[in-house]
Amino acid sequence: MSPPKKPTSTNPNSLKIRLAYRFLHNLNNLNTKRSILYNTPIHHRSHRVKIAAYASMASMVGSRRAWSREILRKIRTQGMLIARKKKRVDHTTTHHLHAAGSKRRTSSNDDPNPTREYVDPFGDSGQEVKLRKLVPGVERMDACGLLDETADYIKCLAAQVDVMRTLVDLYSTF
Amino acid sequence: MSNRRSAPGTQRITDEQITELVSKLQQLLPELRNHRSNKASASKVLQETCNYVRSLHKEVDDLSDRLSRLLSTVDDDGPQASIIRSLIN
Repeated sequence: MSPPKKPTSTNPNSLKIRLAYRFLHNLNNLNTKRSILYNTPIHHRSHRVKIAAYASMASMVGSRRAWSREILRKIRTQGMLIARKKKRVDHTTTHHLHAAGSKRRTSSNDDPNPTREYVDPFGDSGQEVKLRKLVPGVERMDACGLLDETADYIKCLAAQVDVMRTLVDLYSTF
Repeated sequence: MSNRRSAPGTQRITDEQITELVSKLQQLLPELRNHRSNKASASKVLQETCNYVRSLHKEVDDLSDRLSRLLSTVDDDGPQASIIRSLIN
């Protein structure tokens, strides 16, 4: 049962409420597959919760932002690779899978240091390069886009952390 | 920034735009929010932003870990579960 459509403001309170709904929904989906939860080791479970967190954050923003598109894309390709791996595990060697994995990795990093003409407006390209690695989807953006995306990303990430903190408190006080 | 061949669709970035965006970013950072009168340098803001994003990522990891442990202890018929269910529906 999905909540009614809320206005798309980035007012922190409405952001948190929408995030909370989505995250709880994703967690509940995770939780209802209880057999999966019980049989997976703890670090896998933690990874799934993390993926659920980033997925709810990104799906709430949808395709409006480069960072959310990048997160959703990564999650989808991860899911497809896992599904493919499960199908193939009887037929191929692990060496083949590793080769496919590294091929995918290099193709997405084919231009880490763009040699195109680039004016550095910050006077500190070291920090900017680091920031581009931290925020998803901004690798090739111009400076304005980078700052704008980063601000939005930070807003949503902070709200997500808040929701998670609240949930942890809720679950641990009973 | 003279004679820069721009691809179709890209705007010339002005210094004012950059400083405005940098100060907007500064407002979001917990460390620098108090320095309202002195505008921190763009370099400092970027540095703080990187640190803040890294700390947020780490918190998500940490909270995911705790949440996954707590989730596995939740009793399906207990009070927490019914609260969660009422929130979702």
